[in-house]
Amino acid sequence: MPINLLHRHVLEDHISGFETNANPNHLSVIRRPVIFSVLAHAGYEAAVAEALRKADDIASRYCNPSEFLAVSQTAGAGSVAEFLTAIPGASFVDQSDGFVLMAISGPSVRSILSKCLAVDLHPDTFGEGHSAAMMCCHVAANVARTGPNAFELLVPRSFAGSVFDELMEAGRAHALTRGFAD
Amino acid sequence: MASLITCPHCGTRPKEEFSIRGAAAPKRPSPAAKDEVWHRYVYIRDNPKGRILEYWHHVAGCRRWLVVDRDNFTHEVFGVMDASDFERARVVE
Repeated sequence: MPINLLHRHVLEDHISGFETNANPNHLSVIRRPVIFSVLAHAGYEAAVAEALRKADDIASRYCNPSEFLAVSQTAGAGSVAEFLTAIPGASFVDQSDGFVLMAISGPSVRSILSKCLAVDLHPDTFGEGHSAAMMCCHVAANVARTGPNAFELLVPRSFAGSVFDELMEAGRAHALTRGFAD
Repeated sequence: MASLITCPHCGTRPKEEFSIRGAAAPKRPSPAAKDEVWHRYVYIRDNPKGRILEYWHHVAGCRRWLVVDRDNFTHEVFGVMDASDFERARVVE
């Protein structure tokens, strides 16, 4: 008997029921992003960071001076791997199944996030394009600012449900809606 | 306890993101050192009140070992550096 393997997103059960129109404050879950963990060899840290920053349709997320996450919502895993192979002094591994990517945006996004992050998100200290690993809803997540009122969160897959529920709870007072981004 | 630590890689963070290992000042003896030296290193430690150097691990952030220079009486933090830089500076001495 053939077995059909279906891709099922880990937050599928959390986003069930009827679909509402997106409010200004909206949390969207990206269904199948490509996420690679990139480690720079000693001495190559700056070169690898620079190569990742220059890449088209790959967003670089900073973890520590020698570790980055390469995130792409448009490119396929094969082409990202090909690009990373060409960077000298970099080792990488596919983590697409290990992380859940969520994008949160809206006028109240900072007050929503301030309920679950203990980091100052003022544009002066955490500007556009800035990203860092930090504790979000008691989970070690990677947070990036993609716009004046837009953030992206990378959460370990097994904790994504808990973080998602807590974010929705934090956003209730601001009428936060949620949905998949397709 | 000092509640805000300015990590050299991540910026100012709450102490909940860190895990503390212990004093950074004692120097690990060489593997061939005498038993007395090892005994002194492992068991006989000072318990200072005031300014201390400590190893902190930034578990929920950059996952690097840091050396925090802080006062355990006033909770003031004087400086934070990466443990590799600390070790390098110590070797030079």
